[in-house]
Amino acid sequence: MKPQALHPPQWPLKFLRFFLKEEYLEEIEGDMEEIFYENAERFSLRKARRMYAWEMIKLLRPNLIKNLEFVNHIIQYSMFKNYFKVSFRGLKKNPVNSFINVFGLAVAIGLAIFAYAFTRWTYSTDQFHENKHSVYLTTFFANRDGVSQQYGTTPRPLAELLRQDFAQIKSTCRVEDRNVVMKYNDHVFHERVRYVDPEFLEMFTFPLKWGTAGSLHDVNSIILSEEMSIKYFGEENPIGQSIQMIYGKDQSKVFKISGVAKAFPKARTISFNFLINIENFRTTEPGYNVDDWNAFVNATFVYVENPSDLIAIKSKMEKYKTLQNSAAKEDWAISSFSFEPLATLHEQSEYIKDDISRSSKNNYVSIMFMIAIAIFMLALACVNYINIAIATAAKRLKEIGVRKSIGATRKVVIVQFLTENVVVTLFALLIGLAMGYFFFIPGFEALWNFNMDFQFTDINLWIYLPIILLITSIASGIYPALYISRFQATTILKGSVKFGQRNVLTKVFLCFQLVFACVFITMSVMFTQNTDYMSKRSWGYNQDDALYAMVPDQASFEQLSAILSQHPDVELISGSTHHIGRNHKSTVLHFPSRNYEVDQLDVDAKYFETMGLHLKAGRWFNDHEGSDQHAVVINETLANTLGGNPIGQVFQIDSLQFEVIGVLSEFHSYSFSQTVRPLIFKVADKDDYRFLTVKARSGSELIVYKALQAGWSELFPEIPFEGGLQQDVWGPYYREIGIYKLVWRVFALIAITLAMLGLYGLVRLNVEGRTKEFSIRKVLGAGLKNITASVVNQYVSLFTIALCIGAPSGYWLGKWLIEFSDEYHMPITFSGAAVAVVITALVLIMTVFTQVWKVIKSNPINGLKVE
Amino acid sequence: MKKTKLGEFEELVLLTVAALQQEAYGVEIKRELESRLKEKLSVGSIQSALKRMEEKGFLTSQFGEATAKRGGKRKRIYATTSHGRKVLEEMKDIRSQLWNAIPKLAFELKAI
Repeated sequence: MKPQALHPPQWPLKFLRFFLKEEYLEEIEGDMEEIFYENAERFSLRKARRMYAWEMIKLLRPNLIKNLEFVNHIIQYSMFKNYFKVSFRGLKKNPVNSFINVFGLAVAIGLAIFAYAFTRWTYSTDQFHENKHSVYLTTFFANRDGVSQQYGTTPRPLAELLRQDFAQIKSTCRVEDRNVVMKYNDHVFHERVRYVDPEFLEMFTFPLKWGTAGSLHDVNSIILSEEMSIKYFGEENPIGQSIQMIYGKDQSKVFKISGVAKAFPKARTISFNFLINIENFRTTEPGYNVDDWNAFVNATFVYVENPSDLIAIKSKMEKYKTLQNSAAKEDWAISSFSFEPLATLHEQSEYIKDDISRSSKNNYVSIMFMIAIAIFMLALACVNYINIAIATAAKRLKEIGVRKSIGATRKVVIVQFLTENVVVTLFALLIGLAMGYFFFIPGFEALWNFNMDFQFTDINLWIYLPIILLITSIASGIYPALYISRFQATTILKGSVKFGQRNVLTKVFLCFQLVFACVFITMSVMFTQNTDYMSKRSWGYNQDDALYAMVPDQASFEQLSAILSQHPDVELISGSTHHIGRNHKSTVLHFPSRNYEVDQLDVDAKYFETMGLHLKAGRWFNDHEGSDQHAVVINETLANTLGGNPIGQVFQIDSLQFEVIGVLSEFHSYSFSQTVRPLIFKVADKDDYRFLTVKARSGSELIVYKALQAGWSELFPEIPFEGGLQQDVWGPYYREIGIYKLVWRVFALIAITLAMLGLYGLVRLNVEGRTKEFSIRKVLGAGLKNITASVVNQYVSLFTIALCIGAPSGYWLGKWLIEFSDEYHMPITFSGAAVAVVITALVLIMTVFTQVWKVIKSNPINGLKVE
Repeated sequence: MKKTKLGEFEELVLLTVAALQQEAYGVEIKRELESRLKEKLSVGSIQSALKRMEEKGFLTSQFGEATAKRGGKRKRIYATTSHGRKVLEEMKDIRSQLWNAIPKLAFELKAI
């Protein structure tokens, strides 16, 4: 053994020097070293070192270690034990107050946790893709009516050219979506398949549960999402099974299932149901020309290893622009290309037209709202706490006086009160966590039918919760603590301090609560009114009697039409390429002075009457073949934009001349949340009929609906029926506004409950404090009127001020929100605010009255005995 | 016995100090006790017993010489005080009295 290696390890020694009493150090260090050398001779050096370290640790005994600073502090910490005990006793002693405090805070914290869960969910959107910073969506900008608009589609040949021309682009992937029918044994459904390049699964992180991603190179393979696999095959592994894809009217192709994706992460904007190789267009759409600059694919993604390369690539894309603009119709001229990273695509999606990604902008708006509401509710609950703490302080004055006289400084009293607060808030936090987890989050998920994947294992949650705890306990506790700790021990014990009853700040706080409650109630009433109004508002046509069915082609239209025309309840049948509320196409109108981009629907002459549209001026199309090929009927919005008398005005579409022959009264193609856009109707080519529309005799629409379905399944047993009542096309919209109504009602309920609890607590304390006074009044003959007046008097001005502030602010906020969310809404009146004022006032009066009633019912003799 | 109690382990340590005389320092006490008790003892237990007894007044101590073996640090030599010695004797007396008080029969009965 080398002598220099033979010395004890250093770190235990340092450790020892830190902890051990100075006067023992030399002796014990020496002893330890002597034993070490002995051990080193007896055993290995290693073992000796280990033993040395272990012995050092065993030296940590109370009578050997230093009196460090914190040891003294432990005495102070033991006071916390007392604080905890006192706070638990306090909670038990005043169950009503404790309930108000804990419940109020718990609801608010539950909302805060819910807001957190939603925020986390939104921000995690699409972040699971490993290549999110390397995959980009190719987009282009085009000039529309003087405004530069970004589009998410791409000319078909671009992907191939990008890959050939730029070494930096490692791979490209085109995405096209088509509606087809999928058939496996008895399972036949309308589905949407995604035609993609095989690189799709390399760019996007969608791991497979079964099968291999590479199988997508084979044109006969199909990859399913987990959801689809369960829909068709249950829990079984479907790899190797065959599934039939029916496209067009009766053509079909059999695919072999070669992969099933794992369940997709919940927060995503891009996914798929079925994936097949894009080469399949050679068979399914023989006319699909990949070199056609005039046609667009739904999306083209590129993969670059180094994102900075994109700048160089972009600058060299001018040649494609030239290619595109010389080939394409001049209406759709492109001004530039650009790339959008996958990582932030969901945020930008709102501003990109026709892209395949879903926008999360609404979520960001919702987050702002939810955070605002959570903060409001927290503020309300804190105010309750403060009010009650100040009002009950009188009962605790003696305790504080005693504490102060045996040596507690003001700081110590403040610490005590804050500790109590932490205890209360901790309770509230636990209950709030349960509320959020079992009530708010599942409730919200059920409303919107999604899953935000909230888990307790989330690390950020455990950072967030203590912050909430700390902020809430300080916000609610600091003022009472400062206020109560201010008093001198001598004055308290002499009994000359009187407070709690007439604190101005208490009133200001209560006023705030009432204002909040009033605002929430006003908004909830306004939303309810608006929702009711919307469900009754006219769509501008007769949606109740109309039904529609989607048909694959003209022949099937004729067959279905023949069956239905026999039905006694069917009044009219019409064929069209597009359908109100379902689809349309975009067209550019060229007037001599300027161009307009409008929605276009191709319909037949009977369509207007079938749908119950109203003619404002001019005429419909004539109902005989070949007529009105160059005529259009426009809606009122377009007529107003054109100005003058629109009838007879002439314009061009694709260098063909058209004339306006009729103007329709205003109607809504889509829901009330969308502005009515300028729109034209053209005569549909019979070959292009894709919709069959039926006008049923009023009141018999359900019978006709059944007949329509029956006729369909008789004709096409293979293809599932797709269509329905026209009044159902806005189903999602009505569901949505119904949800808003519900959500605001919940908020209003919570707000008024909190305010009521706060008020109840205050009035109760006030009345209890005046028991003697009321008893004397009663003995002297005071009745209900007198006592009510003496309680209510001090709140009347408060109520008035609160309602005067709350109702108008609720009105303005509600108005702003309704105008923001609905393009077309009810005429906003003050009636909502008025109803809210009445509700708030009633609730307040009832709260006060419960206490007054108690006084009246009580025996004055018992009251006089109170000391 | 007085209020200052002597624990069982403390008593053993105190006896060892008395027995070792001039050699009574930490490591030696530990070594001696280990050989007699036939078990391993930690430095911490010996040291804390020594310090406690010093505080109670059963022991005194002074620095001895430094050796190379100890990295140049001095030993602390412990010695029993007269009070310590008295308490030890008291303990011994109480024990022997108790031994004597046990009737012979008890052992014999047990032996059967």
